[in-house]
Amino acid sequence: MNKYSIWVMEYAHVPQYHLSGLIYGAHNQGHRRLPYCYVVIKGGGQVAMVDVGYNHKAYGEVLANTYGVRGWHPPSEVLAGCGLTPADISHIFITHAHFDHMGNIEDFPNATFYLQERELSKWVWAMSLERRFRWLMLGIDPGDILRAVDLARQGRLVAVDGDRDDVLPGIDLRAAFDTHTWGSMFVRVRNDPSPTTPNTWVFAGDLVYTRENLRGDDPENTKDPQYVPVGLATGSQVNLIMASEAMVNAAGGDYTRVIPVHEERLGQVFPSRTTEAGLRITELALADGEASRVQ
Amino acid sequence: MHNAFSRTPVDDRTAAYIAEIHPRFEDLRQVSAQLAGLLVLAASGSKSASPDHPLLKSARELHRSTVDALRGARPTERAQQHHAALLQATNALSEALNAARDVDIDAVLAPLQAAHAHLQRAANELPGFEMVEFKQGCCAVL
Repeated sequence: MNKYSIWVMEYAHVPQYHLSGLIYGAHNQGHRRLPYCYVVIKGGGQVAMVDVGYNHKAYGEVLANTYGVRGWHPPSEVLAGCGLTPADISHIFITHAHFDHMGNIEDFPNATFYLQERELSKWVWAMSLERRFRWLMLGIDPGDILRAVDLARQGRLVAVDGDRDDVLPGIDLRAAFDTHTWGSMFVRVRNDPSPTTPNTWVFAGDLVYTRENLRGDDPENTKDPQYVPVGLATGSQVNLIMASEAMVNAAGGDYTRVIPVHEERLGQVFPSRTTEAGLRITELALADGEASRVQ
Repeated sequence: MHNAFSRTPVDDRTAAYIAEIHPRFEDLRQVSAQLAGLLVLAASGSKSASPDHPLLKSARELHRSTVDALRGARPTERAQQHHAALLQATNALSEALNAARDVDIDAVLAPLQAAHAHLQRAANELPGFEMVEFKQGCCAVL
């Protein structure tokens, strides 16, 4: 029995992405297709999302021309794939403050945004440093900060301090400090009324990009797995590895329920379809009465 | 969105202007981010969001040095719109910094948004200027 319907919605992709960006130390090991996705969680009269994608209006051309990002579609078109509109979204959990995760704030007029307070405060700290420290600000868009101010004034920005249970029934936020960013977090969905349910999903943000980050070279390795961190950490690789363990534990020990949204192979593991626009919809769970969006 | 003009090749003198001014553009982006950071603190109720916050001192110093450098710049005809946008951004930031003496969110936010718009316009005028540091960033390394 599922409390929530859950979909991973692709909104853009990079056709050939270098593997070393995804897996620490994987230099000269080729490329793979990299989807950009956000997660939709619908149930109990609420609709939540994990992250919102980037601001195409401001950066779409640069990302397309310089970094090969292709096939961007606005949330209005992407969410239509599961019968929703941006105005339907009530809660948005921002896993971290990089522009490609919180750049689309303005497209969700009715949502309240949840972000770790540490992500905000460490931004501010980094901004106070001299120019030679600017690497610490990479991926941060001053425009996003301005939009965050507006959200705060409207009472639509919740600065979370560490872990928080039941932001919505069965949905927990888990801090993963000093990992990919200073105030990263992951989202756990206990998708069953039972408090001891094994029916749990974990949404990793950028704490892992791909299955190899959880399993090592062989993504299906069940005998002798190892954690391999992602390529980019403002915090530490040690903390990324410990966060990987925390996520697997939060998923009841089942690594297949830790969802890296940039993992191309999600479409092979879970029921999926590709829309006419070439975007993949992956269906992780269906609540009672909800029609499948992939059949 | 970049205009088509920003994608056309530039002459040597304009390239020299770009090389000279690029750090100043980044400084203005930094001042804008610092002020926005202070507003985030204020809007979320932080007691540290006072006029004495080190962030504000840093922003003022950076703004002052940037204004001096921009006034001394000699833009080519091709770069005039770019330079004008940067000067407008410095003026708007000056207004925002003055309003920040009382950490009045509304009084700071309006000129700060205007400054951001001017910087975005400048970024659109010439190649090589971005509002986000993408290199080695989230699209390059996610």
